[in-house]
Amino acid sequence: MFTKVLIANRGEIACRVAATLGRLGIASVGIFHSADRRSAHVGAVGEAVEITGPTPVAAHLDAEQIIRVAKETGADAIHPGYGFLSENAKFAEAVEASGLAFIGPKPDAIRLMGDKIESRNFAEKHGVPVAPSVLPTGDIDAFVAEAAKIGFPLLVKASAGGGGKGMSIVREASELAEKAKTASSEAERYFADGRVYAERYVERPRHIEVQVLGDGKGGAIHLFERECSIQRRFQKIVEEAPAANLDPARRDEICGAAVQLAAAANYTNAGTVEFILAPDGAFYFLEMNTRLQVEHPVTEMITGVDLVEQQLRIAAGEGLSLSQQDIATTGHAIECRICAEDPENGFLPETGRILSLGVPEADTIRFENGLTVGQAVTTDFDPMLAKLVVYGGDREQAASATVDALRDLTLLGVGTNIDYLARVIAHPDFEAGALHTGFVEEHAAELAAGEPDAETRLAAIAAALLSDPDFLIQVDDSPEPYASIGGWRN
Amino acid sequence: MPYQLMLDGERHSVEIIARRPELVLEIDGRRVSVERLGADGGVVSLALDGLPFDFDAARDGETIWLRDGDGRTFRALVEDPIAAAQDTGAAADEIRAPMPGSVIEIVRQPGETVKRGDTVLTIESMKLQTNLAAPRDGVIAELLTGPGDTFGKDAVVARLEPVEE
Repeated sequence: MFTKVLIANRGEIACRVAATLGRLGIASVGIFHSADRRSAHVGAVGEAVEITGPTPVAAHLDAEQIIRVAKETGADAIHPGYGFLSENAKFAEAVEASGLAFIGPKPDAIRLMGDKIESRNFAEKHGVPVAPSVLPTGDIDAFVAEAAKIGFPLLVKASAGGGGKGMSIVREASELAEKAKTASSEAERYFADGRVYAERYVERPRHIEVQVLGDGKGGAIHLFERECSIQRRFQKIVEEAPAANLDPARRDEICGAAVQLAAAANYTNAGTVEFILAPDGAFYFLEMNTRLQVEHPVTEMITGVDLVEQQLRIAAGEGLSLSQQDIATTGHAIECRICAEDPENGFLPETGRILSLGVPEADTIRFENGLTVGQAVTTDFDPMLAKLVVYGGDREQAASATVDALRDLTLLGVGTNIDYLARVIAHPDFEAGALHTGFVEEHAAELAAGEPDAETRLAAIAAALLSDPDFLIQVDDSPEPYASIGGWRN
Repeated sequence: MPYQLMLDGERHSVEIIARRPELVLEIDGRRVSVERLGADGGVVSLALDGLPFDFDAARDGETIWLRDGDGRTFRALVEDPIAAAQDTGAAADEIRAPMPGSVIEIVRQPGETVKRGDTVLTIESMKLQTNLAAPRDGVIAELLTGPGDTFGKDAVVARLEPVEE
C-alpha cells in the first residue's frame, strides 16, 4: 500500500479522499491556490502545498506543477478526485512516467472512454446496447439524410463532450444542419474538438448508471446502480441508489452490461457506466466515466464499501479485494447537490461569504463538504458547495429523512438551492418514483417557491430589522433620558 | 424617516410607531406589535402580534440572511435611509452584470445605436454564457469592460445615452 498520496483536487472531494487516507494510516498531501487558502481541505490533509497559476482553475490543471509537488513532498501516488485532471489521459501518463502511481484507470482506457464516438463503437462491438446513431462524414447533407433515417427527435452530441456542452435536441430535419453546426462550434470552443454525432433521442428517459471496479486483467465487478434522473440542463442535482422501482431482471441486465464493458476494456480501478433507460424498458449505453463520481456516496451507503479504499488497493496492485458475491445492498440513499445558485432567478450563480453553517447530524447523514465559516464563495470554481447524502431503510424513509435534513441544514451568506431541493424530494412524483431527466422542467411550476404567508413575511421583515444595529439604536437608545448609549457607535 | 427594506427583491417600508412599553411597527401600512424573545447564537426569536417565530440569522454588512423553521430562506437588505433618498433613478441608462463573471465578446461598440433588447455584450460566469441586452433604445455611450475583463455582481458594464434626433 502507498505511504503518502497527493490529492490533486480541492473542496469536498479532497476532504472525502483525505478521510479514507487518514483511516488507512496513509499520509496525505493537499494542494491549494491562494484563493482557497481558508478552505476546509487545506486543514483536512497532513500537509498542504500552495500551487500557483493565472487563475485558481488553471493552477489545478497544471499537471507539471502538481507532479512536481508530489515528487517534492515524497508522495508515491496521486488521487485526482473528479473534474480537473481526473479524466486527462496525458496527466495519467505523465504521473506514471514520473514514477508515481495514478489512482485511476490506465491512460488508454481514459482515452477510449473520453471519446463518445469511439466508446460507443467499442460498446456496440462488445454486445452492450447502444442507441441508433449517425456519425458525420464532413458532408452535412449526407449527415442530415442519414440522421433522418433514424427518425426524430434526435440528440446531437459532441464526441469529446460532457456536462451538456455541445448537446441539443433536434425535433425536425430542418433544424438538424444548424443545430449540428452550433454544437460543433461549441464543442470546438470547450473541448478543442468539433466532432459531433446524432443519436435517437429517447423521450422521458431515465439516467441509470452502474458503479464498476476492474482489476485491469479482464476481471470486473459491479456495485449496483444509481439513478440520476433528476437533472437540470444535463447536470445531475439529485442521485439515489438503488434506482426507483427498477424491475429486478432489468437491473441484472444493466449491471451485467456494465461489467461486460469494463471487462472487455480490461478496465482498472473505479469507473461508472452510464445508461439511458427508455420508458419501454430498452436501455442504451451513454458513456463511461473513468473516475470516482460526485455521487459515489449513495453507493457506499447502501453497500458499505468505501470506494476510495478500493481505488487505493487496486492502484497499489492488490487487485480486487471483493468478489461479486461480497456485494449486497441494504436500504436506500439519496444525495442532493447543494449549489450556490438562485433557483428563483434562472439558477444564476450566487456569490457571497459563508456566515453560518448548521448541519444536521446522524449516523444516516453524510454532509460532504469543504466549507468553513468565513470562506468566500466566488465564481472561481464550480458552484457545487456540498453534498447532503441521507440513508433510510427504504426509499420512502430516505426521502422523508432527506427533506427533514434539508430543512435542518442552515447555510447562510450565499444563495443556495437547499429549499428548492427540499421541494424536489417532497414532490408527489418524486415520491412515486415517476422520474425522468425532464422532471424539473416538467414540474417547474410546482417546484417554484411559493409565497410565504403574510405573517411570516412580516415576521421576517421584523427579524431583519432586529438584526440591524442601526435599527436597534433607533429602538433602544432614545428618547428616554435613562436609555443606554450602548456600544454600537464605536 | 421610514426604513426601506428589500426582502427577496421586494421593497417594504417600515415605520417605528412606538418603542415602549412594546415595540409597534407599521410595515407597509399594517400596524403590528413585535415582542423580542431573544437574539442569541445566530437565532432571532420574536412574537408578531403574539405569534412566535424563530429565524436563523446572519448579517454581512447591510445584507441579512434569515431562515425560518420551515426551511425558507430570506435575504433582506436594510437600506441606509439617506442613500435611498438620493437614488436618482438612473438605472435604465446602465447595463449591470446580473452575476460575477468575465466578458466573452463585445457585440455593440460605443457610438452604435441599439434597440431595447439588443445584445450589447456576452458574458460568461461558471461556464454559462449570458447575453446582456440594452434596457431601452439608445446609443452606447461607454463600455466599462473589454473582452477577458472580470467584474462582480451588479457591476455597471456599459452606459447608454439617448439617441440624438
